[in-house]
Amino acid sequence: MAKISELLANLEMDELMEAVQQELDNGTDPLEILKAGEAGMVKVGEMFSAGDYFVSDLMMSGEMFKEVGEMLEPHLAGKTGEVLGKVVLGTVEGDIHDIGKDLVYIMLKSGGFDVIDVGVDAKPEVFVNALKESGAPLLALSCLLTTAYDSISNTVKAVEAAGLRDQVKIIIGGGPTDESVVSYTGADAVGDDAQSAVRICKEML
Amino acid sequence: MASKLYEERAQKIKDTVAFKNESVTTCFMGGAAPAAHMGVKMKDFAMNPDVMIKTSLDYINEINAITSIDCLNMGINGMRPDLGLPMAWLSKLKMPGRELPDDSLWQVVETDILKPEDYDVIIDQGFEAVFNRLLPQLVDMNDFMEGITYQQENGMKNVELFINNDLPAVNSGFTSPPFEVLCGGRSMSQFFMDCYKIPDKIEKAIEVMLPGSIGSMLATINPVSGGGAWVGGWRGASALVSPKIWNRLVWPGMKASGLALIENNYIATFHLDQCWDRDIERFLEIPGKKAIINTDSMTDLRKARKILGENVAIMGDVPSPLLATGTTKEVKDYVSQLIDDIGPKGLFITPGCDAPANAKFENMVAMFEAANDWK
Repeated sequence: MAKISELLANLEMDELMEAVQQELDNGTDPLEILKAGEAGMVKVGEMFSAGDYFVSDLMMSGEMFKEVGEMLEPHLAGKTGEVLGKVVLGTVEGDIHDIGKDLVYIMLKSGGFDVIDVGVDAKPEVFVNALKESGAPLLALSCLLTTAYDSISNTVKAVEAAGLRDQVKIIIGGGPTDESVVSYTGADAVGDDAQSAVRICKEML
Repeated sequence: MASKLYEERAQKIKDTVAFKNESVTTCFMGGAAPAAHMGVKMKDFAMNPDVMIKTSLDYINEINAITSIDCLNMGINGMRPDLGLPMAWLSKLKMPGRELPDDSLWQVVETDILKPEDYDVIIDQGFEAVFNRLLPQLVDMNDFMEGITYQQENGMKNVELFINNDLPAVNSGFTSPPFEVLCGGRSMSQFFMDCYKIPDKIEKAIEVMLPGSIGSMLATINPVSGGGAWVGGWRGASALVSPKIWNRLVWPGMKASGLALIENNYIATFHLDQCWDRDIERFLEIPGKKAIINTDSMTDLRKARKILGENVAIMGDVPSPLLATGTTKEVKDYVSQLIDDIGPKGLFITPGCDAPANAKFENMVAMFEAANDWK
């Protein structure tokens, strides 16, 4: 099984898919294969944090992890791995950019989180409803425009108005976000990249 | 006839690139920043070239009345973003007052309009075959032709307007190298996958596209407006792609574009979004004192100056969040510290990438005041 995590961490797509098929043919528990894939993604994340991998590598590994998941899905029969927690994720109102959000989605998902993606240009009430329905303790807000800072603030205020602020930690991310934007919007933390989003979400649980 | 002040400022641009400037050069960049401050709705600003030009000029002059702006980063020609940017990224734009609320900023809609089989078409038939097919899907062709006609009829008049206001520009042209065009057309995630799965094919497509890309770039430059051009580095940033992809698919196109500019006696301005620290020393491959790196605050300029010395001028890099939410003191401290650390020679002070649409006017003033007051 170490081979699967190694192949994923080394971004060897064809060899990985062959190895997964071989494990399935050998009757290996698909959940174990999935866990090996998750372990590979953890290695990818570590290499990214160390500066050895770059965003394109994260995207490639995310695509590979997704394909492994699709290959395993018919065999999992509803079984899921360990879920660390739930996160509501989306790009805030007035901003239609999705690349950063989608990358965070795949990194959180492969990091063991159940992610509720509400899409782009999402109004504050969309986030609030998703938090209420899912009971998620984490809210991740993405933006690429500085003009979307007020949408982040409005979303934070809507979470407060709904009486959820004490139970929900809010992380922001995207090109023009930093600690000053955390202060400006009333969020709790900022993630510099997709991998740090995973780390911060784990710390916040 | 240009004024003495215009000539002095135009000379200061050249001197700064050559590291002969006596003081820091202040450089305006703010594609969308003027609208809100001047009380103009974004839809009018973005969709009407005359409104964009007048509003921008009034805004710049308002700053200029308080503290001097030596030059513009890019000449302002009033080109509608939804007619110009699709050329660079093969992507459609959503516009204020059309698909977006009246005061919203225009936004790029990235989809995979370019299909995997298009690489073969580019290799076999040339990029024009694909581009001509896609263009009508990206822009309204009537609007596009109207935009071209506007430039033909008003282009020189608008250039003269800025000359008469003593505002030379560093750049008047730009190129989006083939890597960036393909990335926009395929969408970032799909294109990055392609780079891992079919690098040979992408490399061939880039080789086919590059001569035309360079030719178009040189054709867009109007030396009267600005004697340089941007070479775009957006999705090809060191922080975004692996070294293997960067060395093979990104840098060759950027370097060839920069060299072509310099061979034709133009300034090569590498407009770099995101962090380029990993590969910053590669800019030493560009002839010394002929080029600029124009960064957005994510590249470490202290490190860049240390590595590049007096070979490549720096244009940067006051962060967008700071201009949008910071105080004037914070902005001034940022600028003063930057000049303290990397020195005034070969330095243009300007917003990182572009001043955001919600940049505070007082912060724009503070940015230039700090540069002009630095001793």
